[in-house]
Amino acid sequence: MIDTLLEPTLWALGMALVGTIVFALIGLVSGTDETATIAPLTLLVILLGVPPAGVFAFFMASIAAKHITHAIPTTLLGIPGDTMAAPLLRDAQMLRELGVPHIALRKAISGGVIAAVIAVPMAVFFAWVLTPFSEAISAVAPWLFLAAALLIAVLSKGRWAALIALIPFVLVVVGLQNFAVGALGKGLSISFFLGIAIGPLILDLFLASSPAGRAGLKRDAPRSFELAADVRTWKGRMPNPMRVLDRTQLGGTAGAAVISSATFVFSPVAMTVLMGELFGGRIKNGYRRLTTMMAVKNGTTESTYIAETLIPLIAIGLPLSPMAAGPANPLFNAPPVFTINAETGETNNLHDMLGPWEFLVFGLAAVLIALIITYPFAMTQAHKAAAWIMKKVSHEAIIGAFAGLIAVICLYEGGVVALLVAISIGLVGGLLNRMFHMHTGVQFMGYYVAVLTVPAVTALFA
Amino acid sequence: MQQQRLLEVWGDTVDSRHLLGAIGLGVGIAVPVYLFAEWGFAQLTDGDAVGRSYALVTGLAACIVAAVIAANLFKPKRVVTIGAAAAGGREDAMDAIEAELGPLGNPDELPAAALAEVKELGLYDDLLAQHRKNQARQEAAR
Repeated sequence: MIDTLLEPTLWALGMALVGTIVFALIGLVSGTDETATIAPLTLLVILLGVPPAGVFAFFMASIAAKHITHAIPTTLLGIPGDTMAAPLLRDAQMLRELGVPHIALRKAISGGVIAAVIAVPMAVFFAWVLTPFSEAISAVAPWLFLAAALLIAVLSKGRWAALIALIPFVLVVVGLQNFAVGALGKGLSISFFLGIAIGPLILDLFLASSPAGRAGLKRDAPRSFELAADVRTWKGRMPNPMRVLDRTQLGGTAGAAVISSATFVFSPVAMTVLMGELFGGRIKNGYRRLTTMMAVKNGTTESTYIAETLIPLIAIGLPLSPMAAGPANPLFNAPPVFTINAETGETNNLHDMLGPWEFLVFGLAAVLIALIITYPFAMTQAHKAAAWIMKKVSHEAIIGAFAGLIAVICLYEGGVVALLVAISIGLVGGLLNRMFHMHTGVQFMGYYVAVLTVPAVTALFA
Repeated sequence: MQQQRLLEVWGDTVDSRHLLGAIGLGVGIAVPVYLFAEWGFAQLTDGDAVGRSYALVTGLAACIVAAVIAANLFKPKRVVTIGAAAAGGREDAMDAIEAELGPLGNPDELPAAALAEVKELGLYDDLLAQHRKNQARQEAAR
């Protein structure tokens, strides 16, 4: 008994540590999209044959760690750490103008710590409530995917354009998938995910190589960033999130964490804005409103991510949330290790390999490891780390590494055919993203509509 | 740095030739390493699926090596200024913030914890001055 528990536990702890360190560093590099970084590296961990507990802990530690450190570029530099940080940007900028960006950072990451610790048990609880209905949910899954895709599209910035653009996008996926089946004798998935995730980059690269597009990308001067001075105000060695936030901020963050843990099908960005307004919007004093917004909003980014991963994973086994369709996707579908049968909806993934208790214990342990390492680091070293990255690591090097990563992973999945599929889907997805604000979350749902709903629709007419 | 070669790609400025070089390094190092590793591990493991996973890791390690080389060859195209603590300009900043957000409020109305925080930050006097200024403005308008 002890032996059967010891091994997964050691894997979980070890992989949580790896995820924490890797993503605490990646979080510092501004603009690193979650889907583009967390999904491929999680996929790698799965393909390498790490046991389920290790995979899960790696993922949970990664999202918790990244959401702590991505607050650093957001608050100190005024550039979004990633997509989720966008709703925090304006509030953070105002605090920066007041000359207290370090307060914005302290409030944001303390809110994140509180929300993460609350979200894990809450999400497991809500998943437990939903589990009895999982068979019914799975039976209607093809239609749920369609509904969720439509919902996420309408809730996105693109609104109706994003909704209507789903039709050509889904057809493109169907077409490319058929092409891949014809050429390779099997469908592709990883290459589609990667293509969607790095669509905006692929689009920029295409634009850069055309004379007309290049004109739009041209800049006269390098971008300039102003890093605010480093001021440290708390005493003692180990900062305590319960004392960095006042009572209202603690209450608001906790409330937002609970609510956002239950609403797993909504876009995380939308939830962040909503929770910020609900718990911070009515505070009259401007300074207090701004600082509360930082705590509540960054807390919500943590809790939505955790809940949107855990609930579908525990209760259903299908990626039925924006998060599960994006960064957490490999936990559901990473052939040949984790699979979803497109026709029957049958799953063989983390949902089937871990029980609710394991999700709770390993999830909480992974999140705690991530927080214990990144929180004090972010509180004390934020300024130095941000300055180093900005001065030393060129954007070219990051893009170059991504290009290599995409090439290698695609070749691994399906040779040159897979590479061509990823580039095609990246270009189409990138264009839809840029022109119609049809973000990658909508596109991931579009992929599932193509592989799950479209066969169900064709079966109806057959 | 050649100014006319600057492009904004994926949210930051890059030099187009350096970008091409970095992508060349990324793909040019990682792909051959991966293909060679795939062939090599297939020989060693008799075509076992695990061998392909090892090849994948080897390929990704090559990506990191390429990134380190590129980072050493191509320096960042950003201007980073490390600011001093805001001084003097705070009143203008406050006016701009209030125009968008609404009044920053009377610091004396803050609960004890927030009040202590504001005082510690040296924001108290500025916030109070701003509040008095707004009050005076309201009085005058009446």
